Amino acid sequence: MMNSDDWLLRVEDLSVHFRTPRGVVQAVDHVSFEVKPKETLALVGETGCGKSVTARSIMKLVPEPPGEYASGAVLLRNLKTGAVTDMLSAPMDQVRATRGDRIAMIFQDPGKALNPSLTIGRQLAEVFGEHRAAMLLTQAGIDPEKGPIGSGSIASQRAGVLRRNFFHLTRRGHSRAIRAAVDDAVMSALSDTGIPNPRKVMSSYPHELSGGMKQRVMIAQALACDPDLLIADEPTTALDVTIQARILDLINDMQQRRGTAILYITHDLSLVRQFADRLAVMYAGRIVESGPALEVLKSPQHPYTQGLLAAIPRAGTPRGKLAAIAGSVPQLIDPPAQCHFSSRCTWCAEACTSHIPKLIHMPGDRDVACLRFEQADSIGVDPSDMPSHVASAEVVS
Amino acid sequence: MQVKQYLIRRLALLPLIMLGVSVIVFTLTRFTGSPVGIYATPNMTPDEVAALEERYGLDEPIPVQYAYWLGGLLRGDLGWSGVSVAPVTDVIGLKMAATLELALFAALVAIIGGIALGTIAGVRRNKAPDHAARFFSILGASTPTFWFGLLLLIPFYLWLDWFPLGRSTPEIFDSIGHPTGLYTVDAAISLNPTAIWDSIRHIILPAVVLGFGSMAIIVRMMRSSMVETMSEEYVDAARAKGLPEKLVIKRHARRNALVPTATVIGLSFGFLLQGAVAVELIFRWPGLGQWVTGAILSGDQATIMAYVLVTSLIFMLVNLAVDIAYAYLDRRVVLGS
Repeated sequence: MMNSDDWLLRVEDLSVHFRTPRGVVQAVDHVSFEVKPKETLALVGETGCGKSVTARSIMKLVPEPPGEYASGAVLLRNLKTGAVTDMLSAPMDQVRATRGDRIAMIFQDPGKALNPSLTIGRQLAEVFGEHRAAMLLTQAGIDPEKGPIGSGSIASQRAGVLRRNFFHLTRRGHSRAIRAAVDDAVMSALSDTGIPNPRKVMSSYPHELSGGMKQRVMIAQALACDPDLLIADEPTTALDVTIQARILDLINDMQQRRGTAILYITHDLSLVRQFADRLAVMYAGRIVESGPALEVLKSPQHPYTQGLLAAIPRAGTPRGKLAAIAGSVPQLIDPPAQCHFSSRCTWCAEACTSHIPKLIHMPGDRDVACLRFEQADSIGVDPSDMPSHVASAEVVS
Repeated sequence: MQVKQYLIRRLALLPLIMLGVSVIVFTLTRFTGSPVGIYATPNMTPDEVAALEERYGLDEPIPVQYAYWLGGLLRGDLGWSGVSVAPVTDVIGLKMAATLELALFAALVAIIGGIALGTIAGVRRNKAPDHAARFFSILGASTPTFWFGLLLLIPFYLWLDWFPLGRSTPEIFDSIGHPTGLYTVDAAISLNPTAIWDSIRHIILPAVVLGFGSMAIIVRMMRSSMVETMSEEYVDAARAKGLPEKLVIKRHARRNALVPTATVIGLSFGFLLQGAVAVELIFRWPGLGQWVTGAILSGDQATIMAYVLVTSLIFMLVNLAVDIAYAYLDRRVVLGS
């Protein structure tokens, strides 16, 4: 699977550390996964497991300092040319050109992710101004090579010229045409997400819109430039339950129409069941299990995934205490070299507290990081110290 | 529309507030004693003084005296200024223009410097520029104006003689017209390079000294609100759109950080008017501060009352302007509710 050429995003051995006064927090620890074109991958885990940091690393949005990309690469493949960019080592100009254009992001709380002092129209116009300057100039009937100020033809220079035109320049004859082109682009982006009366929404400020409407605006903004990959960081957590389904349907619908790959960051397993092609489970900064979503949900192999699924309350079961995984998430400041889940795991054996389990490839395009699936001799421990393998035989089907 | 209505309502309230101010000013000033002192000479007999008091109506009950004074005020007669040896209304315009000019330039120094330094400090938090800005602002907030003024006067006036004292060189000042009363503006209008240079040379030092303290307050406020807005999600969202960091800071973080800073700016204008008293004395700036100092020392009550009335009017107008700026900066603010 890793050798196939049909991939869009490949995160390889990514580690992200945070320097804090109490020590180095290893928020993301040697994480690898890939996203294929048009695919939906769900990154699942509890709060603080590193899934949001992983998502932000893909756009190189982790603040440095205190954050630090300790190892790895985030490779993004251009589907047309096949050229590969490493977001972590590419020059900042290239990273910026990618953000919002080829990778876009929807944030958890649309009320916080929209600037309260700018109109919706202006916030969307920024995306077009940054990435679609030449196209808009052409639409406005201006030769982008000889832009309004007419100097350079380099894209970034044009963007600069255009930006000035969008927001500050009113006396030039061109500005009206450019404004009209921008307004058209913004309007069509808004109406694409099913926003009624886009003209009115354009001139509104975020606080004048409802939560669901704001998330629609965020989606419109994210999909404005038709990105190859959309990162949705818990896109419905901050919304009313009644609106959640509609927003997810909208994202799904946009994906079907445009063929965008989606990376969901979530802890909502029903979302995973409904929309995800593949699933990766994160625990304490590492991926512990991944594979086709429905398969993993049907027969989870890692004890953490099993615990997570068992914790879902179901209708029909008798009332009483909800199931939970015993113990709590370990501290990620200078963690010992052991399986992070060992302290909460019912299978835990001697070897689990001295070895970090690697992701083992398993039949059915699945991967699990648990010593139960490793050979005792390959990691050099006494077989009697290994966790029992008995239960897993029945689970693997 | 909304702004216009709000403005009209606030301006309509202004006379009422001023009426209240006038009552307080008059009563408090009368507590300090009879104003007859400036008319009397030391060798007058008590009978002569009493005759004087009777002549000016000072033997009447206080409310009646207030009514006289208020009547004069409404007719545009603020009484006789003993220190200026002229009617208050004849002098106050000139004095006010001088102080207003000084305060405006000081405000310019404080606002531009404060916002710029505060922004840098907030963005580069806990780095060298931040430490420098914070040190600077503590210095500014804790340095007395008069002392800082002298500190600058000694090298720049005494040793180097770069900047002169006073507001202007009289011959140059008289050589141009004064449509606005603000020397720098009038000089700019007259397009007379000598006058422009003269006005700038005179105002730089006092404006810097007066603005320094207010700038310190603005730096601190701006820094902390920048730190706050820089960690807002919409700033990350702006980065995720691919905007250059400069734009992210300017359009997304700084714009929102200006909202709480605007309030501080309005309040600091009060400090400027207050600080102007010391600065005008040190730099021999012929404004309200110098004028009222003389009046206080000689018990010139008409001048003192006029001064308080005028400064409170200025302060109220500035804060009205800030309220409107506030609504412009923060779209969630609904004026008048």
